[in-house]
Amino acid sequence: MTGRPLYIAWALLVALSLGSAALSGAGVWAQWPVAAGVAVMLLAWQKARIILAQYLGLSEAPRWRRGFDMGLTALCILMLGLYLAPLVV
Amino acid sequence: MASKSALEELPGELLMWILIISEVLVFGAGLVVFLSVRITDPIGFADAQDMLDRTGAGINTIVLITSGLLAALAGRLRHAGARAQARLALVAAALLGVVFLWIKGAEFAAKAAQGIAWDTHAFFNFYFMLTGFHAAHVAAGVVLLLLVAWRDHVDNIEDASAFWHMVDLIWVLLFPVIYLLQ
Repeated sequence: MTGRPLYIAWALLVALSLGSAALSGAGVWAQWPVAAGVAVMLLAWQKARIILAQYLGLSEAPRWRRGFDMGLTALCILMLGLYLAPLVV
Repeated sequence: MASKSALEELPGELLMWILIISEVLVFGAGLVVFLSVRITDPIGFADAQDMLDRTGAGINTIVLITSGLLAALAGRLRHAGARAQARLALVAAALLGVVFLWIKGAEFAAKAAQGIAWDTHAFFNFYFMLTGFHAAHVAAGVVLLLLVAWRDHVDNIEDASAFWHMVDLIWVLLFPVIYLLQ
């Protein structure tokens, strides 16, 4: 049994979560709300892709992985657009 | 050798994937409505969000991710015939789920002590509904993990782990939208 890809996925998830935490400081959002919002959603999107690919095993089902990636990307873009709306209106 | 059909390629049970897609759509719709309502009062939502415990939620993210690793490892261990280790990994994953619920419970209790309820502001309506519904899934997942640690057929462990990863997947989408986007 080799759990190496799972350990790598876990380490990446922890690193991306720490990245999100680093962005949660109020100063970051006051100065760069658009960049911080885009970065946080990018990190969330990547974390979700890792969970789907490694924890849920879609890395061995590339066609399904592409489909889930497309749906997930659409959801994240929609949420980012709604977050940015008050900043540009 | 014939190539696999799309359904044969899908790991685990088809019904579990239907559940995963349904749950992501339900929570995704909830988050989309949350962000849509936020457009009408971004300052009120930001003020309400500042009252949340981002550190506790961040710790809970690491707790769930680590629990997910243990659940995934349990499946591999069971396939390799290491039943005792697989059971141990499942129980450890469930215990981390309990830690998540304990931190979440402390967060809800702190809000109650501050006099904050679901009707304090529209933000808290969504906050309690979405994170509370997610916590209910965590509680169900803990029971499932313990159940399959006892009845440890390979298929049982795969299904319970998939449910647990779904809970993990929803949290990594819910956490940034509710707690971080300012």
